[in-house]
Amino acid sequence: MSSKGYIALFLFVLLGFAGVWRLQKCIDGQQSAVANEDDQVMLRSSKLVKGLSLEYAPLVADIYWTRVVQYFGNKQAGKQLDLRLLWPLLDVTSVLDPHLMPVYDFGSTFLSDAPPRGAGRPDLAVQLIERGLRANPEEWRLYYDLGFVYYFDMKDNAKASAAFYEGSKNPKAYVWMKIMAAKIAMEGNSAETSNFLWQDVYNTTKDPLVKQNALRHLQLLQAEDDRKQIDALLDEYQKRFGRRPVRMSELVQSGLLRAEPEDPLGYPYILSEAGKAELNLKTPLRDKWIKAPASK
Amino acid sequence: MTRVGTVAVNTFREALRDRVLYNLVFFALVMMAAAILVGQISVNIEQIVMITLGLSAISIIGLLISVFIGVGLVSKEIDKRTLYALLAKPLRRWEFILGKFAGLALTLTVNTAAMSAGLFLALFYVKHSIERADTVVLVAVYFILLKLALVVALAMLFSCFTTPLLAILFSAGIYIAGLFVHEMRNMQAGTIDPALGGFLRGISYVLPNFENFDVMGAVAHGRAIPGALIAQNTVYAALYCAIVLAVAMAIFSQRNLK
Repeated sequence: MSSKGYIALFLFVLLGFAGVWRLQKCIDGQQSAVANEDDQVMLRSSKLVKGLSLEYAPLVADIYWTRVVQYFGNKQAGKQLDLRLLWPLLDVTSVLDPHLMPVYDFGSTFLSDAPPRGAGRPDLAVQLIERGLRANPEEWRLYYDLGFVYYFDMKDNAKASAAFYEGSKNPKAYVWMKIMAAKIAMEGNSAETSNFLWQDVYNTTKDPLVKQNALRHLQLLQAEDDRKQIDALLDEYQKRFGRRPVRMSELVQSGLLRAEPEDPLGYPYILSEAGKAELNLKTPLRDKWIKAPASK
Repeated sequence: MTRVGTVAVNTFREALRDRVLYNLVFFALVMMAAAILVGQISVNIEQIVMITLGLSAISIIGLLISVFIGVGLVSKEIDKRTLYALLAKPLRRWEFILGKFAGLALTLTVNTAAMSAGLFLALFYVKHSIERADTVVLVAVYFILLKLALVVALAMLFSCFTTPLLAILFSAGIYIAGLFVHEMRNMQAGTIDPALGGFLRGISYVLPNFENFDVMGAVAHGRAIPGALIAQNTVYAALYCAIVLAVAMAIFSQRNLK
């Protein structure tokens, strides 16, 4: 082939792929109209999938696990609240490979968290962790996960305390787990305990999604604490001036605050019509806000 | 073009001599067994099962033929030394490649048409009628044919410069990767390194996207396929085949056959 031939071939391939690229964008637009709107897990029976996987069950578990992460990531990115398939995916994955520990860590966090942060199914999270404990009784961290779900999502302090205590019997467990068991049994739910637990998750997890989730919880706890303090100052302002302020700047002008307060993401707090401190309408924290977290 | 046609017709005849169409017996047995069994083991989804099973069988059988016969089209001629006799005639190398491609595409078309007829017969047995809405199944069959043409082109490309075994592995690898193009493109930040995500998104547009041709789910549920998608997929397959075959022809033209 002559040099002209090579150049012609190169140009043809280049232009051809440019055409393919352009066409693909058009096809993507058409495909969305054809694609099934509902998410699907074709094989939901974990026993069937395990049987079909032959001796490759751990490999298939890895593939299912990848699917779990992508499913959750896509839902979070699209701000979609429907996480119906999280449980079937985790169920199949944990049966295929009962020793795949991230499944229990990740699964318990996101199954139990209330929407929009999770699927709002702490009962299934407990079921998942208990399955993990049956297969991995030496894993003290599963008791930590279990205590977490009972404490935050089921508000069952007795069971949370029992889970932390059971886990603390393992010599490798965190020293503070026994203390936490006693503290929760004695005091119940508190912002201080919540903050400690989420901070520990943030510091110890290697999973970026779990870390991000812990950070968001910490930010929400901080925001809740801020709001309480601002409300106390608003009450103080009312005592001094006989009316509630309508703008946050009035608190600054009165000398009760040095500057207008901002949430952990840097968005200024605003005042509601009732004269209470609220998150800014633009802050991303607002999307994650459900109610005062652990604010009993 | 006459020479290309001659190679194509002879490739088709060779496939018949090699009893490639015997797979139709297997397909017929599967469809008959399914038609009889489906009523016993499923409730209200007989039609869906028949369509998905039939289309899956057409696709799998077609893929096996495309890869294994497609890879052998060039390598067999070299191994048996029949290629020398052919190229001694007034036949250019690119005409040989194009003719072989057209011949196997013709074989696949005949094979797929026969299997589609079998699928409609099985559907008729299950439903006792064929409605106008059922013709949407033909769109899925057409998309399978487009996909098979693309696989044949890829198999021929790889067989032009490597051994048959590697050509089969490469073709299968590209096909499997082409089924995950959507996943590659939608890897979310936070779950994957951004640089790797960008790289995957980039190659997702260059790899042949076999997901484009997957309308089995929609067709099984009787959903119409937009005409624009049919046109775009046709152009996509034609353009991609042209690129792959052009590269295959260039490689084969330069290949030392001594």
